[in-house]
Amino acid sequence: MEVGGGASNQRFPKIKIREMKDEYLKFELRETDASMANALRRVMIAEVPTIAIDLVEIEVNSSVLNDEFISHRLGLIPLTSDRAMGMRFSRDCDACDGDGQCEHCSVEFHLDVRCDQDQTLDVTSADLISTDPSVIPVDVAAKSSSSAYDASENKACLGLRQILMLLCLLERKIYRRGIIIVKLRRGQELRLRAIARKGIGKDHAKWSPAATVTFMYEPEIRINEEMMESLSIDDKRSWIESSPTKVFDIDPNTQQVVVVDPEAYTYDEEVIKKAEAMGKPGLIEIEAKEDSFIFTVESTGAVKASKLVVNAIEVLKQKLDAVRLSDDTVEADDQFGELGVHMRGG
Amino acid sequence: MAKTTSSTNCQNSHGSYSNYKDLEDLAKPHIESFDHFHEVGIESILNSIKPVKIIDPITNKKLEIYFGHHDLYPPQKERSKIASIHKTLLPFECRQAKISYSGRFDVNVCFKFDDAHHPIQHKFHFGYIPIMIKSKLCHLRGADSQKLVSCYEEPTEMGGYFIVGGLERLIRLLIMPKRNYAMSVERDTFRKQQDGYSDKAVIIRCVRQDQSSATNRLYYLQSGSARLGFWVKGRQFLLPVGVVLKALIDTNDQEIYVNLTCCYRDKYQKVKGAVGTQLVGERVKIILDEVQELSLFTRAQCVEHIGENFKPVMDGVGNETHYSVGDAVLEEYILVHLKSYHDKFNMLIFMLQKLFAFVDHMAAEDRADALQNHEVLQPGHLITIYLKDKLQEWLMKGRRLIQDELNNNRAKYSLELEDVKKTLDKNPSRSIGTAIESMLKTGRLASQYGLDLQQSGGMTVQAERLNFLRFISFFRSVHRGAQFANQRNTSVRKLLPEAWGFLCPVHTPDGEPCGLLNHMSSTCRITSYFDSKGNIKNFDNIRSSILNVLIGIGMTPSLPKLVRAGPPEVLCVLLDGCVIGSISSTIVEKAVLHIRKLKLSANSGIPEDLEVGYVPLLGLAYPGLYLFTSPSRFVRPVKSLCHAGKNLDFELIGPFEQVYMEIRCADGGEGGRTENNPATHEEIHPTGILSVVANLTPYSDHNQSPRNMYQCQMAKQTMGFSSQALQFRADQKLYHLQTPQTPIVRTAAYTKYNIDEFPTGTNAIVAVLAYTGYDMEDAMILNKSSVERGMCRGTIYQSETIDLEDKKIGSSDPRKIFSRNNSDMSRGTIDSDGLPYVGKIIHPDEPYYSTYDTVSGTTYKAKLKGSEPVTVDYVAVDAKNPDKDTQKVNIRFRRPRNPIIGDKFSSRHGQKGVCSQLWPDIDMPFSGTTGLRPDLIINPHAFPSRMTIGMLLESIAAKGGSLHGKFVDATPFASSVRKENGQSSSEPDSLVDELGTLLKDRGFNYHGLEVLYSGVLGTELACEIFIGPVYYQRLRHMVSDKFQVRNTGPVDPTTKQPMKGRKRGGGIRFGEMERDSLLAHGAAYLLHDRLHTCSDFHVADVCSLCGSILTTSFIQPQKKAERAINGLPPGRIPKKVTCHACKTSKGMETVAMPYVFRYLAAELAAMNVKMTLRLSSGAES
Repeated sequence: MEVGGGASNQRFPKIKIREMKDEYLKFELRETDASMANALRRVMIAEVPTIAIDLVEIEVNSSVLNDEFISHRLGLIPLTSDRAMGMRFSRDCDACDGDGQCEHCSVEFHLDVRCDQDQTLDVTSADLISTDPSVIPVDVAAKSSSSAYDASENKACLGLRQILMLLCLLERKIYRRGIIIVKLRRGQELRLRAIARKGIGKDHAKWSPAATVTFMYEPEIRINEEMMESLSIDDKRSWIESSPTKVFDIDPNTQQVVVVDPEAYTYDEEVIKKAEAMGKPGLIEIEAKEDSFIFTVESTGAVKASKLVVNAIEVLKQKLDAVRLSDDTVEADDQFGELGVHMRGG
Repeated sequence: MAKTTSSTNCQNSHGSYSNYKDLEDLAKPHIESFDHFHEVGIESILNSIKPVKIIDPITNKKLEIYFGHHDLYPPQKERSKIASIHKTLLPFECRQAKISYSGRFDVNVCFKFDDAHHPIQHKFHFGYIPIMIKSKLCHLRGADSQKLVSCYEEPTEMGGYFIVGGLERLIRLLIMPKRNYAMSVERDTFRKQQDGYSDKAVIIRCVRQDQSSATNRLYYLQSGSARLGFWVKGRQFLLPVGVVLKALIDTNDQEIYVNLTCCYRDKYQKVKGAVGTQLVGERVKIILDEVQELSLFTRAQCVEHIGENFKPVMDGVGNETHYSVGDAVLEEYILVHLKSYHDKFNMLIFMLQKLFAFVDHMAAEDRADALQNHEVLQPGHLITIYLKDKLQEWLMKGRRLIQDELNNNRAKYSLELEDVKKTLDKNPSRSIGTAIESMLKTGRLASQYGLDLQQSGGMTVQAERLNFLRFISFFRSVHRGAQFANQRNTSVRKLLPEAWGFLCPVHTPDGEPCGLLNHMSSTCRITSYFDSKGNIKNFDNIRSSILNVLIGIGMTPSLPKLVRAGPPEVLCVLLDGCVIGSISSTIVEKAVLHIRKLKLSANSGIPEDLEVGYVPLLGLAYPGLYLFTSPSRFVRPVKSLCHAGKNLDFELIGPFEQVYMEIRCADGGEGGRTENNPATHEEIHPTGILSVVANLTPYSDHNQSPRNMYQCQMAKQTMGFSSQALQFRADQKLYHLQTPQTPIVRTAAYTKYNIDEFPTGTNAIVAVLAYTGYDMEDAMILNKSSVERGMCRGTIYQSETIDLEDKKIGSSDPRKIFSRNNSDMSRGTIDSDGLPYVGKIIHPDEPYYSTYDTVSGTTYKAKLKGSEPVTVDYVAVDAKNPDKDTQKVNIRFRRPRNPIIGDKFSSRHGQKGVCSQLWPDIDMPFSGTTGLRPDLIINPHAFPSRMTIGMLLESIAAKGGSLHGKFVDATPFASSVRKENGQSSSEPDSLVDELGTLLKDRGFNYHGLEVLYSGVLGTELACEIFIGPVYYQRLRHMVSDKFQVRNTGPVDPTTKQPMKGRKRGGGIRFGEMERDSLLAHGAAYLLHDRLHTCSDFHVADVCSLCGSILTTSFIQPQKKAERAINGLPPGRIPKKVTCHACKTSKGMETVAMPYVFRYLAAELAAMNVKMTLRLSSGAES
C-alpha cells in the first residue's frame, strides 16, 4: 500500500465472478481490505431485507404441534423476496396505522388444511396461499419455474376417475413435497392467517437471506524448489499427504511438486509443520494476500445469490449515506480535506 | 472402538414400534413383586393370620373368626349403583381425574361357632388397593405399543408405579439385611443394654413365607453364656439360649454339649479355617448350668417356663395353657423362617458355633455395610407385610369390640352372627384400602410395631417425568435406609468392592444422599418368585431337588442326626437359613462346581438364580456352604468359563458368592491369576457395572470420574422430550424441549434402551475459545440466530386441577358451578361455560375461569398469578356425571421458555454453564472454508482442571461422524473388550487416530482444529480453534422461574420488614454476611438506606420521662365536632400523645427506629422485662 503525502488513498475494488447459480455465487473481491470484505459479509447475512412471516393468527389448530411452534416454523419458511428492497418496513409505513397490514408493507397468507383420510397428511409450504404472487415460498417458486411435468395433460390421457385420484395422490407425494410445517391425522385441522413483513436478519434470523457467506484470503504459496528437490519422492509424497486438503500434487512427468489448488489451502499450516518436522524449515512459504478475497455466497432462495450481493452493496451505500456530511460543512474542509468532499457526495 | 454405526432403530417406518423389552426389564423388580403380592402374597397372609377366638363368658359359646377366600379385582369404574356393569378404568383416566388406580379388595371372613364343621362365610369389602401399572391386574399388562398408544400411554410405558390421587408414585427399593443368614456383628450398643453383655452378637433376619420378618439376635455374654433376643410387639425380650435349646426339642445336656463342641478338635487347632477353641466346652457348661439353676430339666418344663413369662405379652391367649403359649412363642418369634423345631434347633446350634468362633477371633466379622450381606425390599413385599399388619389389626380390634360388647351389654348381646357382623362393621373394613393408599401417598407406614423395618417413613417417592432418564432412574434406585441419612458416621456411604457389578459406582448423587441412594447397574436384576418363563417357583420342589443333588454328591443330611464334626473337617451346608447337612471339606469344591453346572442346565430342577455361597476355609468369614434360593436377592449375569465348553453360558451370580469367585475382566486377561487358581467366570462387558444413565455418557472412560457423577445428576435434570403422550397428561409441571435431536456420538446403551424416543438435547456446534470475555467462569455464549432458528427452545406445561365439589356436604346439587358473568370484563378470556378459551394467551391478573355460587349468588373469578403471560393449552372436563354440572376441570397452561441470558446448559460430561449473552450471528467467529459459525462458545479454561477429555473426543467424533453421515459409537471401555475374532486387547491404533482419520478424509484438521476469522473484524484469529458438534442438554434451571425483583411490596405484619418468598413478591434476604461487606466498605449511608429506610423504618413516640415506647397512646381530640358545627373546615389537629405511665403528655419525643425494635420491646415486656430509652440530643452525649 502506497501512502503518498496528501495523495488519495482511494482504492477501486474489483469483483470477478467465478461461478454463478441461482442460490450460489463465488466471486473474487480484489484491491480492498478486510474491513470492506467483512462489512459486505455482515451486511449480506444480517442486513439485506427479505420478507418472512411475522404475524400468525391461528383460527383452528387441532394438530399435535402447539401454536407457537407452528408460527415459528412458518416464520422460518423462506419467501421469495425480490420485492423486499422496494417494500416498506411496517414500522415506517405511513399507509397503515402502524398495524403493519397494508399492501405496502405486508403480504397476507392463508392456510386451510384438514385431513380427512387415514394416511398422515403433510401440511407443507405449498399449502400456503399468498395474496401476492410475487411473494411465495421459495420451493414453490422453484417448482413452478422448473416443472416439466404437466399434470393436466396426464389427467386427460388417463381419464378414469380412480386412476386420476391415484395420480393426484401420487402427484401430492412427488410434487407437493414442500417444506413440511406439520403432519395431520384424520380429523385434525389447521387454519390460519399469516402476515409476512419485510425485515432484516439482525432482528431475527428468519429474515436472513444468506445461508452462508464466507470469504477467505487468497493464499500466495511459494515453494522453495531447491529444497524441495532435495527430498526423495516418498518424502514429497508424505509431505503432500500432510495437508488435509488437496493443495499440492506431484507432476507425473517431472516428479516435481506443483500447486494444484492454492485456494484449497485452509491456513492450517499443516504443511509448514510437516516441513519443519522433516527438518526442512522454509521449504514452503504461504502468505495471505491482504487485499484479495474469495467470497462464497449461499442464498436461502429468498433472493438470488447474485442479487444478494448487489442488494448488500446497496444497503452498504445507504448506510454510508447516513453518515454523509451535510453541504454546509464546506468550512470544515481544512479539517477533513478531500474526505469532506467525498462525504458530501462529491 | 469408534465404530461408525448406521442408524438402525431410529429409521422406523410409520406405525411400527421398536422392541422395548430392555426398557421393560428395568421396572421388573417392581412389577414381579407386585404380581407375587397379588398371586401368592395375599393368600399366604390370609392363611398365616391366626384365627381369633372369642368365648361368651355366660353361655360359653365359642366363636372363631378367620379370613378365607379373597378377591382383588382389576381397576374398574364405579358406575351408579343400579347398573352393575363395570367399565375398565384406565391409568390415563386416573391421572386426568386425579383419582387412584385401584382395584376392589374383598375377603370372605369366616365365622366358626363352637365346633361346627363348616364356617359361615361373609364377604367384607376391604376398600380399594392401588394396582401397579403393568402388573398382572393392570389393564395394560402385555399391551403392545400400539395398544398403549390407543390407551393414551407412552409407547414405551413400562409400569412399575402406582397412581394415587392422580400422582405417579413408586415404592423405593430398600436395602435390607440378607434374609435367613446369620451375621456376626460387633456393635457398642449391645454392651449398653444390660450388665454383662459383650459387644458381639449373631444377628439373623428371618423371613416367613408371607414376607413378614422377625429379627433374632444371639448376644454373647461376658460370662461366656449367650442370650437369644427377639422382638414381641416392638419390645425386645431376652432368653437364656439354653432354655430355648431345650424347649425346642427333646434333648439332653449331653447332646447339646456334643453338638456345640463338635466344631473343636485338638488336632485341627492350628489348621486354617478351624473355628473352635477349647473355650467352647466351658461356655456350653455355663449355658447348661444356667438352665439347671432355673430348675428346668425337661422340654415341657422349658416350654412352660417360656409360656409363663410370656403370657401377659401374647395376644389372645386368655385361657391357654402355659405350654401352648410357650409353644406359640417358639413358633412365632424364634427363627420364624423354619417350621420344624429340629431345624430351629440345628440353626441355633450353628449360630452359637458361629458366635463362639467370632468371639474367639476364629472367624471374622460379617460387614453389615457390605452388599454381600444385603438384599432388597421390593414394593410388592412391602405391601404384603403392610396389608398383613392392617388385616391383623382389624381382626384384633374387631375381637376387642365384640369382647367389649359381651362384657358391657350382657343382657342384649349374644354371640350371634348378625350381632357380630354389626359389631365388626363398627370397625370399618374399607379403611384397609385407604391405609395402603395413604401409605403410598405419604410413604409413611402407620404400623404399631414397625414391621421389623428400620424406618417407617420415606418408603415412596413420586416418579417425576421431568425427563425420561430421571423417570427410569427411580426404578433402578436403591436406598440404603433413612436411618443412615442423619448418621454422623460416613462409613455406610463408602463404595465397597462387594458392590461391584451390582450397584453403579458412578450414579449416586453428591451431597446429602451421597452413597446412600445408589442405582443398580444396568445388568443387575432382582430374583423373584417367578422363573424365567413367568411361572411361580415352587420352593419346596426346588429345595428338595437341591437336597437330592447334594446328597448325591456326598453330603450327609442333617436328618435324622447331624454329623458331629466341624470345620475344617466338614462344612455345614445351609439352604435358605436351614442347616441341611454337612459336607466333607475335601469334596466341597467339586460339589460347588457340580451345582454350578446344574444351574446352567435347564431341566435339572436347580434354579438358574441359585446362589452358591461357598465360604472356603481361609480363616476369614465363618466357613460353610450357604445356598440361597430366596427372592429379593441381587443377581447379575456373567459368562461361565468352566462349564459346557462354549462361552455362551451366562450364569447369574449374587453378591454373596461373588466375593469368593474368580471372575476375570472382559478383555480376557488373567489379571494376575496363576494357573493353580484360574478364572472360572468372565465379565460380559465392562459397561455392565454402570447404571443405565451412567452408560449413556459417551467416552466416560476418558473423563475424570467426578465429572461422570455430575453428568448422571445433570442428565436427570435436563429439559428433554419428557413424554410422547403429552396431550393426555395432567402433571403439575412438565418440561418439554421443542426441537430435540438424536446425538451423533452415542453409546450402545442409547440404542439398547431406545433413548431416541425421549431425546434430551441438541447437537450444538461448539467452539472452544475465549472470544468476548462473556465466557468467563463457565459462562457460555449462544448464537442468537441459532436460538431464533429453534435451538434449545422449550416449554413448560403446567396443569391446574379445579375441583368445586364440596367435600363436607354430600348433597346432590353442586353448590358451585363454572359460569361466566356476562356483564363484566371477563368475556375476553373466559368462554360462556366459565372456562378459558383453548389457545388464548392470558396475561397476569387476567381471569381465566370463573365460578358461580348458587347459594350466595356471587361469581368468583380466578386471576392468573405471576408476572408472565401463559397460553391455555388444554381444558379437560371431568364428565363423571353427565347430567350434573361440571365440577372438576383440568386446565393446562403453556409457558414458553426460549433460551435467554441466565439459562443453564450442560454437555454430557459434567460441564455445565450459564448463558451469558445471545451473541449476534455476524459477530461470531466464522470458518473461512465452510462459513460455519458456532452455535455456542465455551471458554478453554473449562478443560484443564476438569479433565473431561471425553468431551473433546466427542467433539472430534461428532465432527467426523457428521462429515461421514454416520453415528459414532462411543461406548466406554470399548478397548477393554476382547475382539470378536478372539484377538487380545492390544490396540494397534489409538482412538484419537481413528477419529482423526475420519476428519482428515474429509479435508479437515486431524485434531479437530479450524482456522476461524473474527466476525467483527474479518481478520484471522491468532490461534486455530477447536470446534465441533457436542451434544448439549438444557437444564431445567431457568431464570424465568427464578428471578426475584421488587422495590416495594408486601411486608411481614409482625416485623413490618419485607416478606420473603419469590411467590409472594418478597425481597431477597440481605443477611449478616452481606451486611458485613457493606460495613467493611464503610458504605454507611447505603447500609442505613437498605437496612432501615427501605425496610422497617418507623417513627416511634417515646416518653422521655419514663423512657418507655410502649406506654404511649393517642388522645382523641374532642374539639372536632365543635369546629364542624361552626362551619369551619376541619383543620389538621396536631396529634396529641400521652404516656399512660406518667399520665402526662409532657416529654413526648419522636424517635426514628426500626420497627422490630419496638417489637422487641413488646416481646420483652411480655416476659416482664422493661426496656427504657434514655433520650438525649446528640450534642449532649
